[in-house]
Amino acid sequence: MRKTTARVLPVALAATLFGAAACGSGGGSGTTSDGRTVVKIALWNYQTTPEFKALIDGFEAKYPKIDVQPVDILADDYPDKVTTMLAGGDRTDVLTMKNITDYARFGTRGQLLPLTDDVAKMADKSAYSGLADYNLKGQYYALPYRQDFWVLFYNRKLVGDADVSHLTWSGFDSLAKQLTTGSGSSKTYGTYLHTWRSVVQAVASAQTGGNLLGPDYGWMKDQYSVALDVQKAGATLPFSTASSQKITYDSQFTTGKAAMVPMGTWWAAALLSEKAQGKNPVDWGMAPLPQVSADGKATTFGSPTAFAVNKKARNADAAKQFVEWASGPEGAAAIAKIGLVPSYHSSSVMNAFFGVQGMPTDAVAKQAMQPSKVQLEMPVSDKSSDVDEILTQEHELVMSGEKSVDDGIKEMDDRVKTEVR
Amino acid sequence: MTTASSPSAPAPVSSDRRRRRRNVLVGWSFVLPNFLGFAALTLVPVVGTFVIAFTDWDSYSSPKWIGLANFRRMQHDENFWTAVRNTCWYAAGHIPLTLVAALGLAVLLNQKLRGVGLLRTAFFFPYVTSLVAVAVVWNMLLSPDIGPVNQLLRHLGWSHPPGWTTSTDWSLPALILTSVWRDMGYYMVLFLAGLQTIPAELYEAARVDGAGPWMRFRHVTLPGLRPTTFFVTVMLTISSFKVFDLVQVMTEGGPGRSSLVLSQLIFREGITHGRFGYSSAVSLALFVIALAVTLVQFQFQRRSER
Repeated sequence: MRKTTARVLPVALAATLFGAAACGSGGGSGTTSDGRTVVKIALWNYQTTPEFKALIDGFEAKYPKIDVQPVDILADDYPDKVTTMLAGGDRTDVLTMKNITDYARFGTRGQLLPLTDDVAKMADKSAYSGLADYNLKGQYYALPYRQDFWVLFYNRKLVGDADVSHLTWSGFDSLAKQLTTGSGSSKTYGTYLHTWRSVVQAVASAQTGGNLLGPDYGWMKDQYSVALDVQKAGATLPFSTASSQKITYDSQFTTGKAAMVPMGTWWAAALLSEKAQGKNPVDWGMAPLPQVSADGKATTFGSPTAFAVNKKARNADAAKQFVEWASGPEGAAAIAKIGLVPSYHSSSVMNAFFGVQGMPTDAVAKQAMQPSKVQLEMPVSDKSSDVDEILTQEHELVMSGEKSVDDGIKEMDDRVKTEVR
Repeated sequence: MTTASSPSAPAPVSSDRRRRRRNVLVGWSFVLPNFLGFAALTLVPVVGTFVIAFTDWDSYSSPKWIGLANFRRMQHDENFWTAVRNTCWYAAGHIPLTLVAALGLAVLLNQKLRGVGLLRTAFFFPYVTSLVAVAVVWNMLLSPDIGPVNQLLRHLGWSHPPGWTTSTDWSLPALILTSVWRDMGYYMVLFLAGLQTIPAELYEAARVDGAGPWMRFRHVTLPGLRPTTFFVTVMLTISSFKVFDLVQVMTEGGPGRSSLVLSQLIFREGITHGRFGYSSAVSLALFVIALAVTLVQFQFQRRSER
């Protein structure tokens, strides 16, 4: 008997392992034990990104027969993880589209369910800002629910009486220098320019009309001159320190180390929720992004965030219902209430946004929330991710002083011409 | 059990064969769970890489056979050659430095000192520490303006100390330094084990013959450690060529492309850009490079044994 056990056990173990592995991917049914339809949604940092909970709670309140379950993924790994999931035939129903480049990739590969008919049924398409960016050769595979764009966040105490409502970049440059005080560990910087390439490149593209897909990048030169001048004057934490220390823009601003920070509107919600938890004592405001030309227009850049339905979704109909609801007026109201800018625009949604406790409601903030033009952060193309890599690398070299602006731009021109196909 | 008692069967032969077969089966049953895991998670993907390298595949649509196009593309891909150069540089720094540091530590800590166990543990510690923590701490130590390393260097009179991870010239040295610090404890343990196998009589005889410490090290310790040294060199070589995690966390291949290594290029091409065919072709190239270097090392070892 014992001998038999000894012989059977390893085999049984192996079989169990194998069996478990085989079931692992295919298991799970589409309903809960009490008969509700399950919609699984791939998203990031569920705990620290309150919009997802707001949307899920709002939707479930309206459709009690559907149970929405988050599939939480680390934000930094999100695009790679979703790529891998889809390649493995994953059946998660709703996929959040973190940026348009990834969306275009998933969409053109046929991994997403077309939502073109649902777009055609929309009563007022113009109310959905950013919707047109999801048009892939006449087809829509995702509906935006959030539309972020860049503004200038400022610390009221540090900025004082200075007028930030109509800054040009040269005005910004001198104000940043002027607001820089102290030295060593007690130094307060006039601004903080985060390490992302968009801080320089997307600003220049939106405000000069230059094409980020190249291959001629001469139009970036002036914006780099501003950024490097600010850095050389010591009015921002140096790029090399920020990147080697992995500094977060949030810590620079909320600890009162930087007076002005150009950043996307999503930050407002984060600042509000930090303040609600008593973590951030800063009295802040929002102003329009500084401009290249002083013609009174406020041109900025941004990027919508959308929900799409997986082509292999287990419950495609319920998933579609969620995507439509979240991008429509009710979803917009749900996220405006926590201080995020929804894609769907109406006066009641904007009232909800400015009605959030702690949201700046002064005239400058209202002006900041109504830019004249929002350009897409990175144009959609099958070359976007390759170009992005090159631009990021050269941005690092220019900002850390390893290359001059001219050499950096020349290298961008050459590499985009020869390496991207 | 019934056949064993049957008188007609030639008992010794049959039981011998049966025992052998049983041994084989028992052996297999022990190996099987591991082998299944290995086959499913390593062997099949590796064989798959060989096939995928000759296709154009985005991981979703069906792969298209394109023959040698991926390899032709590699020939003209500046990213690929930059990565090859960087990987070789990294290996050229990491292998000898780790070898020397680990051997030196092992010889020092092989003596009967008080608290030697504590020291051995201390040097082994970096190896069991989470790599991300190691990278973050070293990034802080090497920070160009406020890092303690540069503060010390300035104190010693170097007015413009290196920019380490923020400089194209110093990012690879910074990575090598960190990885040597991290790995030396592990290889030190291997060397310590090797040192235990050298008979004490040899040292005694050498001392009687009038050999000083250096002569004893050269003519007794080093030859006695040859098998360990060979093993350590091969392991170091393979780990140097496939380095990924440390680079990804510390510099992400930057600034620019100054610390881009082959495994990172494989990851970027495959996962980020969705070109799994080209990514597999680069993996094959990495495989061939590592294999070639290891074979050369085997050749040397065989020659020196003669």
